[in-house]
Amino acid sequence: MMQDIAASLLMEFEKWVLRAESNGTILKTPLDSQASLSSEEVIKAKKRRLGRAQKTIGDYCLLAGSPVDANAHYSTALELARLTGDYFWYAGALEGSVCALLTDRMGQKDPVLEEEVKYRYNNVILHYRKSFIQDNAQRVSTLSFELEATLKLARFLCRRELAKEVAELLMTAADGAKSLIDASDRLILYVEIARLFGTLGYERKAAFFSREVAQLYLQQENSLAAISAMQVLAMTTKAYRVQSRATSSKSLSFSNEIGSSHADGWKMHPQSVVSLFESQWSTLQMVVLREILLSALRAGDPLAAWSAAARLLRSYYPLITPTGQSGLASALSNSAERLPSGTRCADPALPFIRLHSFPLHRAQMDIVKRDPGREEWWVGSAPSGPFIYTPFSKGESTDDSKQELTWIVGEPVQVLVELANPCGFDLRVDSIYLSVHSGNFDAFPISVSLAPNSAKVITLSGIPTSVGPVTIPGCTVHCFGVITEHIFREVDSLLLGATQGLVLSDPFRCCGSAKLRNISVPNISVVPPLPLLVSHVVGGDGAAILYEGEIRDVWISLANAGSVPVEQAHISLSGKNQDSVISVAYETLKSALPLKPGAEVTLPVTLKAWQLGLVYPDNATSKSVSGSTGRVSKDGSNPMLVIHYAGPLASPGETPTNESVVPPGRRLVVPLHVCVLQGLSFVKARLLSMEIPAHISENLPKPVYVENSSTEEVVAPECKADSLVKIDPYRGSWGLRLLELEMSNPTDVVFEISVSVQLETSKNEDSLTCIDHDAAEFGYPKTRIDRDYSARVLIPLEHFKLPILDGSFFVKDSQADEALSTRSSSFSEKNTKAELNASIKNLISRIKVRWQSGRNSSGELNIKDAIQAALQTSAMDILLPDPLTFGFRLAKNVTKHAIQLDSPKGSILAHDMTPMEVLVRNNTKEMIKMSLSITCRDVAGENCIEGNKATVLWAGVLSGISVEVPPLQEIKHSFSLYFMVPGEYTLVAAAVIDDTNDILRARAKTDSPDEPIFCRGSPFHVRVLGTV
Amino acid sequence: MASTACFIIVSRNDIPIYEAEVGSAVKKEDAAHQHQFILHAALDIVQDLAWTTSAMFLKAVDRFNDLVVSVYVTAGHILHIFKLFYTLTFLLFSQRGQSHKSTYKRSSFFVSLTAHIIHTRLMLLHDSRNDDGIKSFFQEVHELYIKVYYCILSTVLHLDAYLILLNPLYLPGSRITSSHFDTKVRALARKYL
Repeated sequence: MMQDIAASLLMEFEKWVLRAESNGTILKTPLDSQASLSSEEVIKAKKRRLGRAQKTIGDYCLLAGSPVDANAHYSTALELARLTGDYFWYAGALEGSVCALLTDRMGQKDPVLEEEVKYRYNNVILHYRKSFIQDNAQRVSTLSFELEATLKLARFLCRRELAKEVAELLMTAADGAKSLIDASDRLILYVEIARLFGTLGYERKAAFFSREVAQLYLQQENSLAAISAMQVLAMTTKAYRVQSRATSSKSLSFSNEIGSSHADGWKMHPQSVVSLFESQWSTLQMVVLREILLSALRAGDPLAAWSAAARLLRSYYPLITPTGQSGLASALSNSAERLPSGTRCADPALPFIRLHSFPLHRAQMDIVKRDPGREEWWVGSAPSGPFIYTPFSKGESTDDSKQELTWIVGEPVQVLVELANPCGFDLRVDSIYLSVHSGNFDAFPISVSLAPNSAKVITLSGIPTSVGPVTIPGCTVHCFGVITEHIFREVDSLLLGATQGLVLSDPFRCCGSAKLRNISVPNISVVPPLPLLVSHVVGGDGAAILYEGEIRDVWISLANAGSVPVEQAHISLSGKNQDSVISVAYETLKSALPLKPGAEVTLPVTLKAWQLGLVYPDNATSKSVSGSTGRVSKDGSNPMLVIHYAGPLASPGETPTNESVVPPGRRLVVPLHVCVLQGLSFVKARLLSMEIPAHISENLPKPVYVENSSTEEVVAPECKADSLVKIDPYRGSWGLRLLELEMSNPTDVVFEISVSVQLETSKNEDSLTCIDHDAAEFGYPKTRIDRDYSARVLIPLEHFKLPILDGSFFVKDSQADEALSTRSSSFSEKNTKAELNASIKNLISRIKVRWQSGRNSSGELNIKDAIQAALQTSAMDILLPDPLTFGFRLAKNVTKHAIQLDSPKGSILAHDMTPMEVLVRNNTKEMIKMSLSITCRDVAGENCIEGNKATVLWAGVLSGISVEVPPLQEIKHSFSLYFMVPGEYTLVAAAVIDDTNDILRARAKTDSPDEPIFCRGSPFHVRVLGTV
Repeated sequence: MASTACFIIVSRNDIPIYEAEVGSAVKKEDAAHQHQFILHAALDIVQDLAWTTSAMFLKAVDRFNDLVVSVYVTAGHILHIFKLFYTLTFLLFSQRGQSHKSTYKRSSFFVSLTAHIIHTRLMLLHDSRNDDGIKSFFQEVHELYIKVYYCILSTVLHLDAYLILLNPLYLPGSRITSSHFDTKVRALARKYL
C-alpha cells in the first residue's frame, strides 16, 4: 500500500515536472558553463534537461524508498545523458543507479554484485574526471565529486582482503587533495582517508593522515581548531607509541605483562624486551609530542600540555639540547601554574626512579619465625641473622623473587630508591613518597633536589598501618607542580632496553651511577605489632677497654620499645670469644618477664677479657718498647648476646581460630664491645726445682707405710711457710718446685700480682685445711711490676707423683718395641694417661694469678698455657717416680743411747758404732734385681769409706749387695758405720739394675738393652757430733 | 641526482636503525620529519605487500604528494650465515685445544645471535622515477649492509668472540653508527639516484 501511495505521488509529481517544462526553464547547475548560452547550446541544454529531470526523479524515487523505480528513472537518465554528452550528470545518474542497485539487494553479499559496483563506480569516477571543465575550475570543481566517489568506493570495498585496492583508491584520493582549493575540504578529505585507513587496520597510515588533519587544524588560528588538533593528535599517539598512560588501556596490559614476568623471576627473554620497544621511531615521536604540546598550549589545556611535555622530556631528553630541556621544564612549570594544585597526571616526568634496595632489618630488629610446638622456638628458623652470607641460602639465589620481607605494624620501614636527573637543569622534587595501593601503609614524603646530570640514592620511609600484604609498585612524585606516579617496572624495562641498545640512553648510567643489578621486589607482608627490645650498655655504648684477663661487670639495659609485652626471652651467646663471658644474669631477665611496653630490665654480664692473639709475639714485644696501648681488638672478635624474644602467642582480641599462625618472634643481637689491651705479657715460664737433702734420723721422713702416699704430706710443724716444702716421698729428700713466670709490663700502669694456690685439702686431716688458708694469705706477697719493666713471679708447686712407675707412660715406646701391650694393660695405660693429664689440669686449676692494675681494675692472668708448656717438657720428671727409692734411717734398737738430750734431732756421735738401715723401694710392678752399694762422703765430697784416708769404718756389706726387690715392696739392708771424725757426712745409696726391662729403659731414657741402668738415691745428711 | 631522497633502514622491530637525507634539495628539518612520517606510514603497506611477492625490490609501494616510497625487503638470509660461523668457530676453537668450557660459552652465544637481523627493510622516499637506479642503489646498500656485519664479525672472531657483546652494532635492532657505512651510502646515493 505504501508503494501505491508513493507511486501515485510520483505520478503526480512527474506530471507537474513535465508540465513545468512548458515554461521553457533551463535546468542549470553551477557546474554547467555559465557563459551566455548560444542557441546551439540552448538546444543542447533542452535535450539535457530531460535526462537531468529523469535523474532527479530517480533521486526522489530513491528517497521515497523505491529503488526499482529509481533504477528505471536512472537508466533513462543515463541513456539521455550519454546521448547529450552530459558527463557530469551521467556520473551522477550512474552513482544513483549503484545506490538503487545496492538498496534493492540490501544485505546480499554477492561477488558479482561487488564487481558490478566496482565497475560502475570506476565509471563514475572516470566520468566525473571527464566532466572537469577548465573555465569554471577556479570557482567550482568537479574534483570534490570525484574524490567523494573515490572515497565511497573505498568505503564500500574497505576490507582486509582488498586492502591493496582500497589503499590504491585512498592514495588517489590523497593525491587529489593538493588540487582542492578549500583547506577545510582537504581537512575533511584527510579525515575520511584516515578513518578508512583506520578501518582497514593500517594504523600508521591512519595516524599519518590524522596528523595531516591536525596540521590543517593548526593552520587555523583559533583555539577551537587547536582543541580539535589536539584531540586528533591524541588519536595518533597509539600508532606512534607515545600514548599518555591515562588514555591507553594497552599500557595497563603492558604493565600486567611485565608484572607477570616479574613474578617469573625477572629474567625476561631479550626478545620480549625488544617487543616492548617496537616501533620506537624517536624522530616521529618527538615531532608528534611537540605538536601535541603546541596544540595543547594553543588550546589552553594545561594538563595535556604538561603531559605531552613530560613525555617528551622523559623519553627523549638525550635528543633534546639543554636549552630545549630547560624550555620543556619551564613549559611544565607554566602549565602547572594554570592547574589547580594537587592535580594528578598519569604521565610521569622526571626524575627517573628505580628501586635500589630494601634494607634488611637491623640486627637489633630481626624477625624470627616462631615454631609454637617447640620450647626453643627460634631453632630451625631461617638463618637470616646478622650475616648476609649464609652458605645455605647461597644455592637458592635463583628464586630471589620469592624473597620474603616482613614488616610490622607501627614500626617504620625504609626503602632505598635511586633518583636520576639526566637533564641539564636543576630538578627540584617537591615531595616524593612510596606509592602503595594496598592502603595499609603510611608513606612519609620527603623533598629532594637533584643537580644537573646527577643521581642520588634516597631513603623513603613509611609505617605499615595494618596487617596484610604490601605491594610497592612505585613512587608518587610531586614535581613541576603536578603529582605523578612513577612505576619502578617501567624504569626497569627501560634500563633493560638500554642494555639491549633499544633505548637511547640509560638515565642512570649517564648520570654516573653504577650499574645495579635488577632488584627483585620481595613479597612484603605486614604482621601485627611485635615487642621490640632496645638495648644499651649502661654507662655508654662504647667499647669497654680491658686489659687481657681483666674481669669486669657490664650492665646491659633492655627496654621494650614495642607496643606488645615480651613474654618469652632466651639469651644465648654467639660470635667469637664466647668464653670471655663468664656469667649472664639469665634469671634477672626471666624474672622480669613479661616485660610490658616501656618497661626496662638491666642485666649484669661479667666479662673477662680474652687473650690477645699470640700470632705476632715479636710485634708485641717491639710495641711494648714504645709504651704501647696494645692491640685494639677487631670488631669481629666481640662476643654477642643473642636474645630471642617473642610476644604473646595470640594477639589480644584475636579469635583462637587463628592459632595456627603464630606471630613471629624477634632476635636482638647485643654485641659486647670489648677492646682488649695488651696487659702483662709472658716472657718465659719455666719450672725450677730445689732439692734439700734430708737428715738421717731414726724415723725416716717419708711415710712409706701410708697407703695413699702420693697425697700424703709431712708438715714440719715449726714453720707454716714450710708447708709447701715437702718431703718427696719417693726420693726421700726435701724438694721444692717452683714455677717461675717471667712477665713484662708493656702497659702504662703498674700491675700488682698476687698468686694463690689452693692447696689440696685432705679430708682426714683437719689441721691442714687451716694451714691452707694461712698459706694462701701468708705465702705469696704481691709482686709489683712497674710499667715497662719485667719481673719474675714464683709460684710454688705442690709435689705430686704417681705411685707406680708403669709401662703406660711409655706407650709410644712400648708400641715401638711391640712388647707387653696386652689388652688389660692398654686399659690401665689409658687410665693412667688420663690421670696424668687430669693431675696436670688439676694442678693448674688450683693456681690463680690475680692482678690489680693501677687503673683500679683487676683480673686474672691466663697462665694455663704457660704452665702447661712449662710442665709438658718436664712432666715426666715431675710426675713419674724413680723406679727405686732409697732411704736411710738409724736402726731403732740403738737410738736410745745414741741421741743425747741436748743434741739436735737425728745427730750421731763420733767414735760410736751406729747401726743404720738402707731401705730400697721398688716402685715398679715387676721384680727388680740389682746390686746395691752405699757410699759415704765427707764435706769435701770425698769418699770416706774406701781409700787411704778413710775416716769411716763400717760393718756389714756396703757394696755389691745383690738384692731382689719384689714389685711395690721394699727391702731393708742393715749395716753399721763408725765415724772417726765428727762433721757433716753424706750418705748416698746407688744401685745397678741387672735385668732391665723396657719401662726402666724408657724411664732412664736409654735405648740400648746392654747398657746397665744406674739408679742413685738422693743424699742423706749425717751430722756427727763429737770433739775432734 | 634526485632532489629529494630520504633513505632509511628499518629493523625487524620497526625501529629505524639508519637514516639519511640523500637528496640534493636544501634540507629543512620539517621536511625531513615529514619524509620520515611518510616512510613510517608506508610500513603498513609494505607489511602487507611483502607477503604477496617474492621480489625483494618493491617499487613505488606508497606515495604522498609526489613523493614515492620504494622498499627493498631483506628476508632471512643472514640467519644461515651466522649458523655457519658458529659451526666454524666451534671447530676452530676445539682444534686450537681450547678448554671445552669456554667453547661452550661461545657457542651458546652464537646460537642466541642467530635469531636476529632478518626482515630488515631498506626504504627510500624519492621524487624521481628512476626505478633501475633505485634498484641498483638498494642492492648495493644491502650488500654493504651485510658486509659491515661480516667484516666486523669476522675480525672480531679472530680477536675474541666476547668483543661482539660489546659492539653496539650487534645488539638486535640497534642503530648503525658506523661513519664508514654512512659515507658509503651517500656515495651510492650520488651514483645511482
